[in-house]
Amino acid sequence: MTDWEKYQQIRREAAYTGLALLVLILFWCWAGFGLADVEMEIFGLPLWAVTSSIGVWLFAIVLVKLLLKFVFRDMPLDEEKGAEEHE
Amino acid sequence: MSNGGNLAALLPLLIFMAVMIGIGFYVRQVQARGFGRNFVQQYFIGNHDLGGFVLAMTTVATYSSVSSFVGGPGMAWQIGFGWIYMAVVQVTAIFLVLGIFGKRVALLSRKFDAVTVVDIIRERFQSDGLASLAAFIIVLFFCATMTAQFVGGAKLFAAVTGYSYEMGLLLFGLAVVVYTTVGGFRAVALTDTCCALIMMVGIVLLLYHVLLAGGGYSNLMANLHLNHPEMFEPFSGGHMPAGLYLTQWILVGICTIALPQSVVRGISYKDTASLHKAMLIGTVVVGFMNIGINFTGILAHGVLTGDLASYGGVDNIIPKTIVTVMPPALVGLAIIGPLAASISTISGLLIVASSAIIKDVYLHQQHKKGKEPGTKQLRLLSMLATAVIGVVVFIIALTPPSLIWIINMFAFGGLETAFFWMLLLGLFWRRANKLGAILSMGGGTVVYCLTQGMGFKVMGLHQITIGITASLLFFLLGTYLGKPQDEQVLNEFFPHRKN
Repeated sequence: MTDWEKYQQIRREAAYTGLALLVLILFWCWAGFGLADVEMEIFGLPLWAVTSSIGVWLFAIVLVKLLLKFVFRDMPLDEEKGAEEHE
Repeated sequence: MSNGGNLAALLPLLIFMAVMIGIGFYVRQVQARGFGRNFVQQYFIGNHDLGGFVLAMTTVATYSSVSSFVGGPGMAWQIGFGWIYMAVVQVTAIFLVLGIFGKRVALLSRKFDAVTVVDIIRERFQSDGLASLAAFIIVLFFCATMTAQFVGGAKLFAAVTGYSYEMGLLLFGLAVVVYTTVGGFRAVALTDTCCALIMMVGIVLLLYHVLLAGGGYSNLMANLHLNHPEMFEPFSGGHMPAGLYLTQWILVGICTIALPQSVVRGISYKDTASLHKAMLIGTVVVGFMNIGINFTGILAHGVLTGDLASYGGVDNIIPKTIVTVMPPALVGLAIIGPLAASISTISGLLIVASSAIIKDVYLHQQHKKGKEPGTKQLRLLSMLATAVIGVVVFIIALTPPSLIWIINMFAFGGLETAFFWMLLLGLFWRRANKLGAILSMGGGTVVYCLTQGMGFKVMGLHQITIGITASLLFFLLGTYLGKPQDEQVLNEFFPHRKN
Protein backbone atom coordinates (compact mmCIF):
# COMPACT_ATOMS: atom_id res chain seq x y z
CA MET A 1 0.00 0.00 0.00
CA THR A 2 1.27 3.46 -0.80
CA ASP A 3 0.82 6.30 1.67
CA TRP A 4 -1.97 7.62 -0.50
CA GLU A 5 -3.79 4.30 -0.53
CA LYS A 6 -3.41 4.00 3.21
CA TYR A 7 -4.83 7.46 3.77
CA GLN A 8 -7.79 6.77 1.46
CA GLN A 9 -8.49 3.56 3.34
CA ILE A 10 -8.23 5.29 6.72
CA ARG A 11 -10.61 8.03 5.61
CA ARG A 12 -13.04 5.40 4.44
CA GLU A 13 -12.83 3.59 7.75
CA ALA A 14 -13.31 6.80 9.72
CA ALA A 15 -16.31 7.79 7.60
CA TYR A 16 -17.95 4.40 8.01
CA THR A 17 -17.27 4.50 11.75
CA GLY A 18 -19.13 7.81 11.80
CA LEU A 19 -21.92 6.24 9.79
CA ALA A 20 -22.11 3.37 12.28
CA LEU A 21 -22.48 5.97 15.03
CA LEU A 22 -25.42 7.50 13.19
CA VAL A 23 -27.10 4.15 12.71
CA LEU A 24 -26.54 3.37 16.37
CA ILE A 25 -28.09 6.69 17.43
CA LEU A 26 -31.17 5.94 15.33
CA PHE A 27 -31.44 2.44 16.77
CA TRP A 28 -30.96 3.86 20.26
CA CYS A 29 -33.85 6.32 19.77
CA TRP A 30 -36.12 3.58 18.51
CA ALA A 31 -35.11 0.97 21.09
CA GLY A 32 -35.80 3.33 23.99
CA PHE A 33 -38.23 6.14 23.28
CA GLY A 34 -39.76 4.32 20.31
CA LEU A 35 -40.69 1.24 22.28
CA ALA A 36 -41.47 2.98 25.57
CA ASP A 37 -45.21 2.59 25.21
CA VAL A 38 -45.25 -1.06 24.21
CA GLU A 39 -47.01 -3.06 26.89
CA MET A 40 -44.95 -6.22 26.48
CA GLU A 41 -42.72 -7.42 29.31
CA ILE A 42 -39.48 -9.43 29.28
CA PHE A 43 -37.94 -10.76 32.52
CA GLY A 44 -40.44 -8.65 34.44
CA LEU A 45 -39.21 -5.50 32.67
CA PRO A 46 -40.97 -3.34 30.12
CA LEU A 47 -39.72 -4.13 26.62
CA TRP A 48 -37.95 -0.79 26.14
CA ALA A 49 -35.85 -1.27 29.29
CA VAL A 50 -34.35 -4.40 27.74
CA THR A 51 -33.97 -3.21 24.16
CA SER A 52 -32.48 0.12 25.21
CA SER A 53 -29.79 -1.46 27.38
CA ILE A 54 -28.76 -4.96 26.35
CA GLY A 55 -30.35 -4.38 22.95
CA VAL A 56 -28.24 -1.30 22.20
CA TRP A 57 -25.15 -3.06 23.49
CA LEU A 58 -25.63 -6.11 21.27
CA PHE A 59 -26.51 -3.89 18.32
CA ALA A 60 -23.26 -1.96 18.82
CA ILE A 61 -21.29 -5.21 18.89
CA VAL A 62 -22.93 -6.34 15.64
CA LEU A 63 -22.17 -2.95 14.05
CA VAL A 64 -18.51 -3.20 15.02
CA LYS A 65 -18.36 -6.72 13.63
CA LEU A 66 -19.81 -5.50 10.34
CA LEU A 67 -17.34 -2.62 10.23
CA LEU A 68 -14.45 -4.97 10.80
CA LYS A 69 -15.65 -7.45 8.23
CA PHE A 70 -16.58 -5.13 5.39
CA VAL A 71 -14.72 -1.85 5.87
CA PHE A 72 -11.60 -2.21 7.98
CA ARG A 73 -8.48 -3.60 6.30
CA ASP A 74 -5.13 -4.63 7.67
CA MET A 75 -2.19 -2.48 6.64
CA PRO A 76 1.49 -2.26 7.55
CA LEU A 77 2.10 0.53 10.04
CA ASP A 78 5.84 0.88 9.61
CA GLU A 79 7.12 3.51 7.25
CA GLU A 80 9.81 1.41 5.57
CA LYS A 81 7.52 -1.32 4.35
CA GLY A 82 5.11 1.12 2.80
CA ALA A 83 7.91 3.20 1.33
CA GLU A 84 9.58 0.30 -0.48
CA GLU A 85 6.56 -0.31 -2.62
CA HIS A 86 6.32 3.16 -4.05
CA GLU A 87 9.95 4.18 -3.82
CA MET B 1 -17.79 -3.87 61.91
CA SER B 2 -17.91 -0.49 60.30
CA ASN B 3 -16.58 1.57 63.19
CA GLY B 4 -13.42 -0.24 64.22
CA GLY B 5 -12.26 -0.94 60.70
CA ASN B 6 -12.71 -4.21 58.92
CA LEU B 7 -9.38 -6.01 58.75
CA ALA B 8 -10.71 -8.62 56.32
CA ALA B 9 -11.53 -5.77 53.96
CA LEU B 10 -7.91 -4.69 53.87
CA LEU B 11 -6.25 -7.93 52.95
CA PRO B 12 -7.54 -8.37 49.38
CA LEU B 13 -6.80 -4.72 48.71
CA LEU B 14 -3.25 -5.04 50.01
CA ILE B 15 -2.65 -8.11 47.88
CA PHE B 16 -4.07 -6.40 44.82
CA MET B 17 -1.94 -3.30 45.28
CA ALA B 18 1.14 -5.44 45.86
CA VAL B 19 0.48 -7.24 42.58
CA MET B 20 0.09 -3.89 40.79
CA ILE B 21 3.41 -2.64 42.15
CA GLY B 22 4.95 -5.99 41.29
CA ILE B 23 3.85 -5.53 37.67
CA GLY B 24 5.49 -2.10 37.64
CA PHE B 25 8.84 -3.50 38.74
CA TYR B 26 8.51 -6.54 36.49
CA VAL B 27 7.97 -4.36 33.43
CA ARG B 28 10.93 -2.29 34.48
CA GLN B 29 13.09 -5.38 34.74
CA VAL B 30 12.06 -6.82 31.39
CA GLN B 31 12.43 -3.54 29.57
CA ALA B 32 15.68 -2.58 31.23
CA ARG B 33 17.68 -3.57 28.16
CA GLY B 34 15.40 -1.79 25.70
CA PHE B 35 15.34 1.34 27.86
CA GLY B 36 18.81 2.12 26.62
CA ARG B 37 17.85 2.65 23.01
CA ASN B 38 14.82 4.82 22.91
CA PHE B 39 13.90 5.56 26.46
CA VAL B 40 11.23 8.17 25.86
CA GLN B 41 9.32 5.97 23.47
CA GLN B 42 9.57 2.97 25.78
CA TYR B 43 8.55 4.80 28.89
CA PHE B 44 5.72 6.93 27.57
CA ILE B 45 4.18 4.69 24.93
CA GLY B 46 5.48 1.16 25.57
CA ASN B 47 7.28 0.97 22.23
CA HIS B 48 4.29 0.33 19.94
CA ASP B 49 3.88 -3.05 21.51
CA LEU B 50 0.33 -3.54 22.76
CA GLY B 51 -1.80 -6.41 21.56
CA GLY B 52 -5.54 -6.21 20.97
CA PHE B 53 -6.71 -7.46 24.33
CA VAL B 54 -4.47 -5.20 26.39
CA LEU B 55 -5.23 -2.23 24.13
CA ALA B 56 -8.97 -2.75 24.64
CA MET B 57 -8.62 -3.14 28.39
CA THR B 58 -6.37 -0.16 28.94
CA THR B 59 -8.61 2.08 26.83
CA VAL B 60 -11.71 0.98 28.71
CA ALA B 61 -10.08 1.13 32.14
CA THR B 62 -8.73 4.63 31.61
CA TYR B 63 -12.08 5.75 30.28
CA SER B 64 -14.12 4.22 33.13
CA SER B 65 -13.56 6.30 36.21
CA VAL B 66 -14.51 5.85 39.83
CA SER B 67 -17.66 7.88 39.20
CA SER B 68 -18.85 5.25 36.71
CA PHE B 69 -18.76 2.88 39.67
CA VAL B 70 -20.06 5.06 42.46
CA GLY B 71 -21.93 8.20 41.39
CA GLY B 72 -23.39 6.61 38.24
CA PRO B 73 -25.07 3.58 39.79
CA GLY B 74 -26.15 5.81 42.67
CA MET B 75 -28.09 7.82 40.12
CA ALA B 76 -29.45 4.59 38.63
CA TRP B 77 -30.72 3.72 42.11
CA GLN B 78 -32.72 6.92 42.02
CA ILE B 79 -33.72 7.23 38.35
CA GLY B 80 -34.19 3.64 37.25
CA PHE B 81 -33.90 2.27 33.73
CA GLY B 82 -33.71 5.70 32.15
CA TRP B 83 -30.26 5.94 33.65
CA ILE B 84 -29.04 2.77 31.95
CA TYR B 85 -30.60 4.00 28.72
CA MET B 86 -28.48 7.12 29.07
CA ALA B 87 -25.32 5.35 30.24
CA VAL B 88 -25.42 2.84 27.41
CA VAL B 89 -24.40 5.57 24.93
CA GLN B 90 -20.91 4.88 26.21
CA VAL B 91 -20.74 1.68 24.16
CA THR B 92 -19.75 3.99 21.32
CA ALA B 93 -16.73 5.43 23.09
CA ILE B 94 -14.19 2.71 22.34
CA PHE B 95 -14.96 1.82 18.74
CA LEU B 96 -15.28 5.49 17.80
CA VAL B 97 -11.91 6.59 19.12
CA LEU B 98 -10.09 3.53 17.81
CA GLY B 99 -12.00 3.44 14.53
CA ILE B 100 -11.59 7.12 13.69
CA PHE B 101 -8.20 7.98 15.16
CA GLY B 102 -6.57 4.60 15.77
CA LYS B 103 -4.80 4.07 12.47
CA ARG B 104 -4.39 7.72 11.61
CA VAL B 105 -2.50 8.39 14.80
CA ALA B 106 -0.51 5.15 14.57
CA LEU B 107 0.82 5.98 11.10
CA LEU B 108 1.52 9.62 11.86
CA SER B 109 3.31 8.83 15.10
CA ARG B 110 5.63 6.46 13.27
CA LYS B 111 6.27 8.99 10.55
CA PHE B 112 7.20 11.77 12.97
CA ASP B 113 8.56 9.64 15.75
CA ALA B 114 5.77 11.10 17.88
CA VAL B 115 5.11 9.87 21.39
CA THR B 116 2.26 12.16 22.42
CA VAL B 117 -0.85 13.63 20.89
CA VAL B 118 0.74 17.04 21.31
CA ASP B 119 3.67 15.92 19.12
CA ILE B 120 1.24 15.25 16.31
CA ILE B 121 -0.55 18.55 16.85
CA ARG B 122 2.77 20.37 16.74
CA GLU B 123 3.70 18.73 13.44
CA ARG B 124 0.30 19.31 11.87
CA PHE B 125 -0.07 22.98 12.74
CA GLN B 126 3.63 23.89 12.98
CA SER B 127 3.04 25.89 16.11
CA ASP B 128 4.97 25.72 19.35
CA GLY B 129 2.49 28.08 20.99
CA LEU B 130 -0.40 25.77 20.21
CA ALA B 131 1.56 22.75 21.43
CA SER B 132 2.43 24.48 24.69
CA LEU B 133 -1.18 25.52 25.19
CA ALA B 134 -2.28 21.93 24.58
CA ALA B 135 0.29 20.61 27.04
CA PHE B 136 -0.83 23.17 29.63
CA ILE B 137 -4.51 22.27 29.23
CA ILE B 138 -3.66 18.59 29.55
CA VAL B 139 -1.63 19.01 32.73
CA LEU B 140 -4.12 21.36 34.39
CA PHE B 141 -7.24 19.33 33.70
CA PHE B 142 -5.57 15.99 34.27
CA CYS B 143 -4.34 17.04 37.70
CA ALA B 144 -7.85 18.07 38.70
CA THR B 145 -9.32 14.84 37.36
CA MET B 146 -6.71 12.75 39.12
CA THR B 147 -7.44 14.52 42.38
CA ALA B 148 -11.13 13.76 41.99
CA GLN B 149 -10.30 10.10 41.34
CA PHE B 150 -8.11 9.95 44.43
CA VAL B 151 -10.80 11.57 46.56
CA GLY B 152 -13.57 9.36 45.16
CA GLY B 153 -11.59 6.20 45.79
CA ALA B 154 -10.49 7.19 49.28
CA LYS B 155 -14.00 8.22 50.32
CA LEU B 156 -15.36 4.91 49.14
CA PHE B 157 -12.61 3.12 51.01
CA ALA B 158 -13.38 4.98 54.23
CA ALA B 159 -17.12 4.47 53.95
CA VAL B 160 -16.88 0.77 53.32
CA THR B 161 -13.98 -0.41 55.46
CA GLY B 162 -14.32 1.94 58.43
CA TYR B 163 -10.66 2.96 58.18
CA SER B 164 -9.71 6.56 57.66
CA TYR B 165 -9.79 8.48 54.41
CA GLU B 166 -6.08 9.20 54.70
CA MET B 167 -5.25 5.55 55.09
CA GLY B 168 -7.19 4.68 51.97
CA LEU B 169 -5.40 7.37 50.05
CA LEU B 170 -2.07 6.13 51.31
CA LEU B 171 -2.86 2.54 50.41
CA PHE B 172 -4.00 2.80 46.85
CA GLY B 173 -2.77 6.31 46.06
CA LEU B 174 0.88 5.66 46.67
CA ALA B 175 0.65 2.32 44.91
CA VAL B 176 -0.56 3.89 41.68
CA VAL B 177 2.10 6.60 41.78
CA VAL B 178 4.82 4.02 42.42
CA TYR B 179 3.92 1.56 39.67
CA THR B 180 3.31 4.26 37.09
CA THR B 181 6.61 5.96 37.90
CA VAL B 182 8.61 2.77 37.85
CA GLY B 183 7.10 0.96 34.90
CA GLY B 184 5.84 3.74 32.63
CA PHE B 185 3.18 3.22 29.99
CA ARG B 186 3.69 -0.51 29.64
CA ALA B 187 3.02 -0.99 33.34
CA VAL B 188 -0.01 1.29 33.04
CA ALA B 189 -1.39 -0.87 30.23
CA LEU B 190 -0.84 -4.15 32.06
CA THR B 191 -2.20 -2.94 35.39
CA ASP B 192 -5.16 -1.40 33.55
CA THR B 193 -5.90 -4.82 32.13
CA CYS B 194 -5.91 -6.36 35.60
CA CYS B 195 -8.05 -3.48 36.82
CA ALA B 196 -10.61 -3.91 34.04
CA LEU B 197 -10.88 -7.62 34.77
CA ILE B 198 -11.27 -7.04 38.49
CA MET B 199 -13.90 -4.36 37.82
CA MET B 200 -15.98 -6.91 35.95
CA VAL B 201 -15.54 -9.47 38.72
CA GLY B 202 -16.53 -6.80 41.24
CA ILE B 203 -19.71 -6.00 39.34
CA VAL B 204 -20.77 -9.63 39.11
CA LEU B 205 -19.98 -10.18 42.78
CA LEU B 206 -21.98 -7.17 43.91
CA LEU B 207 -24.90 -7.98 41.61
CA TYR B 208 -25.02 -11.51 42.98
CA HIS B 209 -25.10 -10.35 46.57
CA VAL B 210 -27.69 -7.66 45.90
CA LEU B 211 -29.91 -10.34 44.39
CA LEU B 212 -29.28 -12.55 47.39
CA ALA B 213 -30.02 -9.80 49.91
CA GLY B 214 -33.15 -8.72 48.05
CA GLY B 215 -34.68 -12.18 48.09
CA GLY B 216 -34.12 -12.96 44.42
CA TYR B 217 -34.71 -11.21 41.12
CA SER B 218 -38.50 -11.52 40.87
CA ASN B 219 -38.94 -10.40 44.43
CA LEU B 220 -36.79 -7.31 43.88
CA MET B 221 -38.57 -6.46 40.65
CA ALA B 222 -42.03 -6.86 42.17
CA ASN B 223 -40.94 -4.57 44.96
CA LEU B 224 -39.70 -1.91 42.51
CA HIS B 225 -42.79 -2.15 40.33
CA LEU B 226 -44.95 -1.63 43.39
CA ASN B 227 -43.07 1.21 45.07
CA HIS B 228 -41.32 2.98 42.21
CA PRO B 229 -43.24 2.55 38.96
CA GLU B 230 -41.57 5.68 37.56
CA MET B 231 -38.23 3.82 37.50
CA PHE B 232 -39.59 1.88 34.55
CA GLU B 233 -40.22 4.96 32.42
CA PRO B 234 -37.56 6.56 30.18
CA PHE B 235 -38.18 9.99 31.72
CA SER B 236 -38.53 8.54 35.20
CA GLY B 237 -41.59 10.60 36.04
CA GLY B 238 -39.71 13.82 35.22
CA HIS B 239 -36.48 12.97 37.06
CA MET B 240 -34.74 12.34 33.78
CA PRO B 241 -35.07 15.34 31.45
CA ALA B 242 -34.91 14.78 27.69
CA GLY B 243 -32.10 17.32 27.35
CA LEU B 244 -29.88 15.17 29.53
CA TYR B 245 -30.10 12.36 27.00
CA LEU B 246 -28.91 14.67 24.26
CA THR B 247 -26.02 16.16 26.20
CA GLN B 248 -24.89 12.76 27.44
CA TRP B 249 -24.53 11.63 23.85
CA ILE B 250 -22.20 14.55 23.28
CA LEU B 251 -20.40 14.59 26.63
CA VAL B 252 -19.78 10.93 27.42
CA GLY B 253 -20.31 9.47 23.96
CA ILE B 254 -19.21 11.25 20.82
CA CYS B 255 -16.81 13.89 22.08
CA THR B 256 -14.84 11.47 24.26
CA ILE B 257 -13.04 10.39 21.07
CA ALA B 258 -10.87 13.49 21.38
CA LEU B 259 -9.73 12.93 24.96
CA PRO B 260 -5.92 12.89 24.75
CA GLN B 261 -5.65 9.96 27.17
CA SER B 262 -7.77 7.89 24.76
CA VAL B 263 -6.23 9.11 21.50
CA VAL B 264 -2.70 8.43 22.74
CA ARG B 265 -3.61 4.76 22.86
CA GLY B 266 -3.65 4.85 19.07
CA ILE B 267 0.11 5.34 19.19
CA SER B 268 0.70 2.39 21.46
CA TYR B 269 -0.55 -0.72 19.68
CA LYS B 270 1.41 -3.23 17.64
CA ASP B 271 -0.45 -3.85 14.37
CA THR B 272 -3.82 -3.23 12.77
CA ALA B 273 -5.09 -6.70 13.67
CA SER B 274 -4.66 -5.69 17.32
CA LEU B 275 -6.60 -2.49 16.73
CA HIS B 276 -9.49 -4.33 15.11
CA LYS B 277 -9.62 -6.84 17.93
CA ALA B 278 -9.54 -4.05 20.50
CA MET B 279 -12.52 -2.28 18.89
CA LEU B 280 -14.63 -5.37 19.37
CA ILE B 281 -13.41 -6.38 22.82
CA GLY B 282 -13.56 -2.80 24.05
CA THR B 283 -17.18 -2.44 22.95
CA VAL B 284 -18.13 -5.70 24.64
CA VAL B 285 -16.38 -4.77 27.88
CA VAL B 286 -17.53 -1.17 28.15
CA GLY B 287 -21.13 -2.25 27.54
CA PHE B 288 -20.93 -5.02 30.09
CA MET B 289 -19.54 -2.68 32.73
CA ASN B 290 -21.99 0.13 32.13
CA ILE B 291 -25.08 -1.99 32.01
CA GLY B 292 -23.90 -4.30 34.78
CA ILE B 293 -23.05 -1.69 37.37
CA ASN B 294 -26.07 0.53 36.68
CA PHE B 295 -28.42 -2.44 36.70
CA THR B 296 -26.93 -3.36 40.07
CA GLY B 297 -27.64 0.20 41.21
CA ILE B 298 -31.28 -0.14 40.22
CA LEU B 299 -31.70 -3.48 41.96
CA ALA B 300 -30.08 -2.02 45.05
CA HIS B 301 -33.20 0.10 45.41
CA GLY B 302 -34.97 -3.05 46.45
CA VAL B 303 -32.45 -3.47 49.27
CA LEU B 304 -31.90 0.12 50.34
CA THR B 305 -35.50 1.17 50.50
CA GLY B 306 -35.19 4.46 52.38
CA ASP B 307 -35.29 7.84 50.68
CA LEU B 308 -32.19 9.40 49.19
CA ALA B 309 -31.69 11.98 51.94
CA SER B 310 -31.47 9.26 54.58
CA TYR B 311 -28.39 7.88 52.79
CA GLY B 312 -26.80 11.29 52.35
CA GLY B 313 -26.82 11.58 48.54
CA VAL B 314 -26.27 9.38 45.50
CA ASP B 315 -22.54 9.00 46.11
CA ASN B 316 -23.28 7.04 49.27
CA ILE B 317 -25.62 4.53 47.67
CA ILE B 318 -23.00 2.10 46.39
CA PRO B 319 -20.83 2.18 49.55
CA LYS B 320 -23.99 1.60 51.60
CA THR B 321 -25.04 -1.21 49.31
CA ILE B 322 -21.67 -2.90 49.63
CA VAL B 323 -21.74 -2.72 53.41
CA THR B 324 -25.34 -3.90 53.56
CA VAL B 325 -25.31 -6.83 51.17
CA MET B 326 -21.77 -8.19 51.23
CA PRO B 327 -20.62 -10.62 53.91
CA PRO B 328 -17.81 -8.85 55.85
CA ALA B 329 -15.24 -11.29 54.54
CA LEU B 330 -16.02 -10.29 50.94
CA VAL B 331 -16.27 -6.52 51.43
CA GLY B 332 -12.60 -6.23 50.59
CA LEU B 333 -13.14 -7.88 47.21
CA ALA B 334 -16.13 -5.73 46.45
CA ILE B 335 -14.29 -2.44 46.88
CA ILE B 336 -11.36 -3.48 44.72
CA GLY B 337 -13.60 -3.01 41.67
CA PRO B 338 -14.33 0.70 42.15
CA LEU B 339 -10.81 1.33 43.43
CA ALA B 340 -9.45 -0.37 40.32
CA ALA B 341 -11.56 2.01 38.25
CA SER B 342 -10.03 4.88 40.15
CA ILE B 343 -6.38 3.85 39.93
CA SER B 344 -6.58 2.79 36.30
CA THR B 345 -7.83 6.25 35.37
CA ILE B 346 -5.19 7.93 37.52
CA SER B 347 -2.32 5.91 36.02
CA GLY B 348 -3.48 6.63 32.47
CA LEU B 349 -3.68 10.36 33.13
CA LEU B 350 -0.48 10.48 35.14
CA ILE B 351 1.70 9.03 32.40
CA VAL B 352 0.20 11.37 29.78
CA ALA B 353 0.62 14.41 32.04
CA SER B 354 4.21 13.42 32.65
CA SER B 355 4.83 12.96 28.92
CA ALA B 356 3.40 16.43 28.32
CA ILE B 357 6.00 17.93 30.61
CA ILE B 358 8.99 15.84 29.53
CA LYS B 359 8.35 15.30 25.85
CA ASP B 360 6.23 18.26 24.85
CA VAL B 361 7.92 20.94 26.91
CA TYR B 362 11.35 19.91 28.22
CA LEU B 363 12.67 17.77 25.35
CA HIS B 364 11.31 20.15 22.78
CA GLN B 365 13.11 23.08 24.41
CA GLN B 366 16.32 21.07 24.53
CA HIS B 367 16.07 20.10 20.88
CA LYS B 368 15.46 23.70 19.93
CA LYS B 369 18.70 24.60 21.65
CA GLY B 370 20.34 21.79 19.71
CA LYS B 371 20.92 19.67 22.80
CA GLU B 372 20.22 15.97 23.12
CA PRO B 373 19.93 14.92 26.77
CA GLY B 374 21.58 11.60 27.62
CA THR B 375 19.51 8.51 28.28
CA LYS B 376 20.48 8.45 31.93
CA GLN B 377 19.38 12.01 32.42
CA LEU B 378 16.13 11.44 30.52
CA ARG B 379 15.33 8.36 32.53
CA LEU B 380 15.84 10.24 35.76
CA LEU B 381 13.83 13.26 34.65
CA SER B 382 10.94 11.23 33.26
CA MET B 383 10.55 9.22 36.42
CA LEU B 384 10.98 12.35 38.48
CA ALA B 385 8.26 14.16 36.53
CA THR B 386 5.84 11.25 36.95
CA ALA B 387 6.60 10.93 40.65
CA VAL B 388 6.36 14.66 41.32
CA ILE B 389 3.01 15.08 39.56
CA GLY B 390 1.72 11.99 41.34
CA VAL B 391 2.86 13.12 44.75
CA VAL B 392 1.59 16.68 44.27
CA VAL B 393 -1.84 15.41 43.28
CA PHE B 394 -1.73 12.98 46.19
CA ILE B 395 -1.01 15.81 48.63
CA ILE B 396 -3.75 17.97 47.12
CA ALA B 397 -6.15 15.06 47.56
CA LEU B 398 -5.41 14.95 51.30
CA THR B 399 -7.22 18.26 51.77
CA PRO B 400 -8.62 19.23 48.39
CA PRO B 401 -9.12 22.98 48.05
CA SER B 402 -12.40 24.09 46.49
CA LEU B 403 -10.49 25.35 43.45
CA ILE B 404 -9.79 21.75 42.51
CA TRP B 405 -13.49 20.97 42.35
CA ILE B 406 -14.07 23.94 40.13
CA ILE B 407 -11.30 22.88 37.75
CA ASN B 408 -12.52 19.30 37.85
CA MET B 409 -16.01 20.39 36.91
CA PHE B 410 -14.49 21.99 33.81
CA ALA B 411 -12.09 19.18 33.05
CA PHE B 412 -14.02 16.61 31.06
CA GLY B 413 -15.93 18.97 28.81
CA GLY B 414 -12.98 21.36 28.70
CA LEU B 415 -10.68 18.70 27.28
CA GLU B 416 -13.30 17.73 24.75
CA THR B 417 -13.88 21.32 23.70
CA ALA B 418 -10.16 21.89 23.38
CA PHE B 419 -9.27 18.79 21.39
CA PHE B 420 -12.35 17.61 19.48
CA TRP B 421 -12.29 19.80 16.38
CA MET B 422 -8.57 20.27 16.44
CA LEU B 423 -7.99 16.54 16.13
CA LEU B 424 -10.96 15.67 13.95
CA LEU B 425 -10.56 18.51 11.47
CA GLY B 426 -6.80 18.71 11.82
CA LEU B 427 -6.30 15.09 10.88
CA PHE B 428 -8.99 14.75 8.23
CA TRP B 429 -9.36 18.18 6.65
CA ARG B 430 -6.54 19.50 4.51
CA ARG B 431 -7.66 23.10 4.77
CA ALA B 432 -7.54 23.19 8.60
CA ASN B 433 -4.81 25.56 9.73
CA LYS B 434 -2.92 26.95 12.68
CA LEU B 435 -5.09 30.01 13.30
CA GLY B 436 -8.24 27.89 13.32
CA ALA B 437 -6.70 25.43 15.75
CA ILE B 438 -5.47 28.13 18.12
CA LEU B 439 -8.79 29.99 18.10
CA SER B 440 -10.73 26.76 18.52
CA MET B 441 -8.64 25.44 21.38
CA GLY B 442 -8.17 28.73 23.21
CA GLY B 443 -11.49 30.38 22.42
CA GLY B 444 -13.62 27.27 22.73
CA THR B 445 -12.17 26.33 26.09
CA VAL B 446 -12.58 29.85 27.45
CA VAL B 447 -16.20 30.03 26.26
CA TYR B 448 -16.92 26.62 27.75
CA CYS B 449 -15.37 27.44 31.12
CA LEU B 450 -16.99 30.88 31.28
CA THR B 451 -20.50 29.65 30.48
CA GLN B 452 -20.11 26.77 32.90
CA GLY B 453 -18.64 29.01 35.57
CA MET B 454 -21.55 31.43 35.26
CA GLY B 455 -24.09 28.63 34.94
CA PHE B 456 -25.27 30.00 31.62
CA LYS B 457 -27.23 27.49 29.57
CA VAL B 458 -29.01 27.42 26.25
CA MET B 459 -32.37 25.63 26.41
CA GLY B 460 -31.31 24.11 29.72
CA LEU B 461 -28.63 21.99 28.04
CA HIS B 462 -25.21 21.22 29.50
CA GLN B 463 -22.54 23.75 28.50
CA ILE B 464 -20.68 21.20 26.40
CA THR B 465 -23.19 22.05 23.66
CA ILE B 466 -22.08 25.69 23.77
CA GLY B 467 -18.41 24.81 24.08
CA ILE B 468 -18.33 22.41 21.17
CA THR B 469 -20.32 24.78 18.94
CA ALA B 470 -18.14 27.78 19.81
CA SER B 471 -15.04 25.68 19.26
CA LEU B 472 -16.25 24.70 15.78
CA LEU B 473 -17.16 28.27 14.83
CA PHE B 474 -13.78 29.56 16.01
CA PHE B 475 -12.09 26.84 14.02
CA LEU B 476 -13.90 27.69 10.80
CA LEU B 477 -13.38 31.40 11.34
CA GLY B 478 -9.65 30.99 11.87
CA THR B 479 -9.31 28.57 8.99
CA TYR B 480 -10.90 30.91 6.48
CA LEU B 481 -9.19 34.03 7.84
CA GLY B 482 -5.74 32.53 8.14
CA LYS B 483 -3.56 31.09 5.43
CA PRO B 484 -3.27 27.35 4.79
CA GLN B 485 -0.35 25.37 6.17
CA ASP B 486 2.73 24.89 3.99
CA GLU B 487 2.22 22.46 1.13
CA GLN B 488 5.19 20.48 2.34
CA VAL B 489 3.61 19.88 5.73
CA LEU B 490 0.24 19.09 4.24
CA ASN B 491 1.71 16.54 1.87
CA GLU B 492 3.10 14.66 4.83
CA PHE B 493 -0.35 14.49 6.36
CA PHE B 494 -2.44 14.17 3.23
CA PRO B 495 -0.35 12.28 0.69
CA HIS B 496 -1.00 12.73 -3.03
CA ARG B 497 -1.71 9.85 -5.32
CA LYS B 498 1.75 10.03 -6.86
CA ASN B 499 4.20 10.56 -4.11
